[in-house]
Amino acid sequence: MAAVATCGTGAGSTGSVVAAGSKNNVTSFQRRGPRASGSDSSYSRLVSIAGTRPSVRNGQLLVSTGLPALDQLLGGGLAVGTVLLIEEDKYNIYSSLLFKYFLAEGIINGHTLLVASAKEDPADILQELPAPLLDDNVKKDFDEDACNHKTAESNIKMKIAWRYQLLPKMEAGPVSSSRFGHYYDASKKMPQELIEASKWHGFFFPEKSSSTLNIEPCSLTHGYIKLLQFIQNIIYEEGFDGSNPQKKQKNILRIGIQNLGSPLWGDDICCMENGNSHSLTKFLYVLRGLLRNSLSACMITMPTHLIQNKAIISRVTNLSDTVVGLESFIGSERETNPLYKDYHGLIHIRQIPRLNNLIYDVSDVKDLAFKLKRKLFTIERLHLPPDLSDTVSRSSKQDLAEPSKLLGPGCGVMAGGKKHLDF
Amino acid sequence: MESVLALRGLVLLRDSVEWEGRSLLKALIKKAALGGEQVHILGCEVSEEEFRAGFDSSINSRLVYYDLFRDPLNWAQTGEALPGGPLGALQAMCERTDPGPVTVALDSLSWLLLRLPCAALCQALCAMSRQHACRGGGPAAGQLCVLGLLHRELHGPGPMGALSSLAQTEVTLSGTAGQASAHILCRRPRQRPTLETLWFSVLPDLSLDLQGGPPLESQPHPDPHTPQVDPASHLTFNLHLSKREREAKDSLTLPFQFSSEKQQALLRPGPGPATSRIFYEPDAFDDLDPEDPDGDLDV
Repeated sequence: MAAVATCGTGAGSTGSVVAAGSKNNVTSFQRRGPRASGSDSSYSRLVSIAGTRPSVRNGQLLVSTGLPALDQLLGGGLAVGTVLLIEEDKYNIYSSLLFKYFLAEGIINGHTLLVASAKEDPADILQELPAPLLDDNVKKDFDEDACNHKTAESNIKMKIAWRYQLLPKMEAGPVSSSRFGHYYDASKKMPQELIEASKWHGFFFPEKSSSTLNIEPCSLTHGYIKLLQFIQNIIYEEGFDGSNPQKKQKNILRIGIQNLGSPLWGDDICCMENGNSHSLTKFLYVLRGLLRNSLSACMITMPTHLIQNKAIISRVTNLSDTVVGLESFIGSERETNPLYKDYHGLIHIRQIPRLNNLIYDVSDVKDLAFKLKRKLFTIERLHLPPDLSDTVSRSSKQDLAEPSKLLGPGCGVMAGGKKHLDF
Repeated sequence: MESVLALRGLVLLRDSVEWEGRSLLKALIKKAALGGEQVHILGCEVSEEEFRAGFDSSINSRLVYYDLFRDPLNWAQTGEALPGGPLGALQAMCERTDPGPVTVALDSLSWLLLRLPCAALCQALCAMSRQHACRGGGPAAGQLCVLGLLHRELHGPGPMGALSSLAQTEVTLSGTAGQASAHILCRRPRQRPTLETLWFSVLPDLSLDLQGGPPLESQPHPDPHTPQVDPASHLTFNLHLSKREREAKDSLTLPFQFSSEKQQALLRPGPGPATSRIFYEPDAFDDLDPEDPDGDLDV
C-alpha cells in the first residue's frame, strides 16, 4: 500500500509541499514539512536543491532519471549517491535514448553534468539531447481540465469503481510540468542556449589516453583509472563532497558513462572469456565509494549482451545499486509474435537497492514493455491481446469427466490424465 | 539497392569457407577506385601480386598498397616497412590519407584480430575514422570507408560481437546452389537497423553483377515473413482440440444427464467390482452392542 502512496503523491509534489493540502494523498501518514523557523536546517537545505526531493518511503534524496515512468518503477527516482546500470539492448538505440534523457533532466534542473564516453565526443552527445516539453500555458489548461473532471466525477467514481483508484497509476502522457521529472520530445533537439547555460565536464577517453597498448593483468585498465581520477578531481574541486564549506548553494553532479565495458575503453571482457575480469568490477567498487561520499548520481550503460563470462554480469549487478535491462525486439523472433506487436521491447527491472531500509521498494508489476512513439518514450504494462479468433474453443467439463472416470471412483485426486490441465 | 552499396564507416565482410569474400572485396575496391576515391590497402594474407591480379593497370596505379605479407615482423630490416607492427601500420595508413573520400581495405581483419589484442584493434579502427574526420573537417560519416574482411569460422562469439557492435554495416556472405548472397545489416546512428539480402556474382573483371532474386532452379526461397507465432500454443491449458479429442468430447454423456443407458444400468443389479465393501473382523476389545452398533447412544 505504501507503494501506492508513492505513486499517488509522486507526480505533483515536491518535498516542501508533501504535507496536507495535496489532494492526491491516499494515506494518512504525512511527512511534516519544514517549519518556517527551520527546525532541521540540514533537512531544509537538502530539500532546496533543485530537481531533488526526499523519498516518501525512507527519506532518501532522489533525483529524476528523466523518464517519470521509470522513476515510478524505481520507487520515486534515483537515489543520490547510487549507480543506475542500464543493460543495453542489442543495437544500442533505446539505451542511448535513456542516457540522453538522464542528461537532459540534469540540464533542465541546473545540475552539473559529467559525461564520459569512449565512442562519441561528449560535446556531440550534448548536441543530441531531446528538447523538453515546457509549454507552461498548455500545461495550465490541461491541469484545469483535469481538476474539473475530477471534482465532477469523483462522487460517481467512488460509488461505481472505487477499487480502480487503488491501482498504481502508470502515467502514459504529459500530465504536469513539475519540478521533479520532466517530459521530453524525442523528435526535437534541446535548444542551444540551454546547453550553453549548463555546466558540464566531458571525458572522451581517446583524447585522454597516452598509451593504448599497456594492459596489465589483474588491475584496473588504463581507461578506468583515468576516468576515476577525473571523477574524483571534479568532485573534489567543485565541492560535491562537502570539502568546500564556503559554497552555500549545493548542487548535484550527474555522471553519465556510456558503453562501459566495451573494447573501446581498453577492456576485453567483451572479447574474451578469461580476459581481465576484475577490472570492471574494481571500477564499479571504487566508483561506488566515490559516489556515496558525494552529492552525485550516476547512470552507466553497459553492453552486457557482449560480455562472454556470465559470472561477470552477476558480479556487476551486485556491485551496482539499481539495474534495469532493456531488451528490444528488433531482429529477434519476438518481433512477429502477436503478443508484442504494439511494443518495441521489454524492460526488466533486475535490481532495486535497499537503502536505509529493511525491504525493497519493488513495484508489483513485473511484465513491462516500452514503446518509442514519435515524441515520447512510454513504459507500459504488458497486456495480452484479446483472443478474438473463431477457432478458439474452450475446454468444457466433459473433458474433465473423462479422465476422472478412468482413475476409478475411490480416487480423490484431481484428474491428472492425458490432458494438460491446470487450474 | 544503390544506397545500400554506398557504404561508409566500418564495413565488415564476413565470409566463410564455402563463400569467400575476397572477390567481393576486390569488386568494391574497383568500384571505389572508379568513383574517384583514394584507395589504401593493407595486405596481410595474400601476396601483393596475387591481390593485384584481376585489376587493370589504370586501377592498379591508383591503389596504395601496404604489404604486411612478405615480411610481417620486419626481419629483413629493409627500412621500408612500416614501424610499430600491424597497429603502427594502421595508424600510418591513417596519417597518409588526404582529406576527401577514402576507402581503406583491410585484407584481412581476421589476420589482425588473431595477432593483436581485440580491444586495441577496436580502438584503432575507431580512431581511424575520427582522425580522418578531424583532418578533413567534414562530417565523419561521409568520408572514410573501412572495408574489413573477416573470416567467420576463425573467431569466437566474443570478438565477432565486439566488432559487430562497432561496425556501421555488416555484410554476411552465404548462398544457395552456386549463387552467392549477401545479407546486409545497416546500422544507422539513431534509427532501426535494416536488413537486406542481395544476390550477386562477381564477374572475372571484378565488376559486381546484382541479381534481383535467387536463381530459379534453386530451392524455393524461404518465406520472408516467418509464420505468426500463436500465443495460445504453449499454455498449460488446451484451447484447441484435435479431431480425436473433439469426437471424444461429443460422444460423452454428462454425469447428471439421465439417459436411457443410465436408467438400464441402475435397474440392473450392479456388478461386484463397481461397489465397495468393508470387511471388518472384530477383535477381543470390541464390544458391539447389537442394538446400538455405532455406539453413540448415551445409555
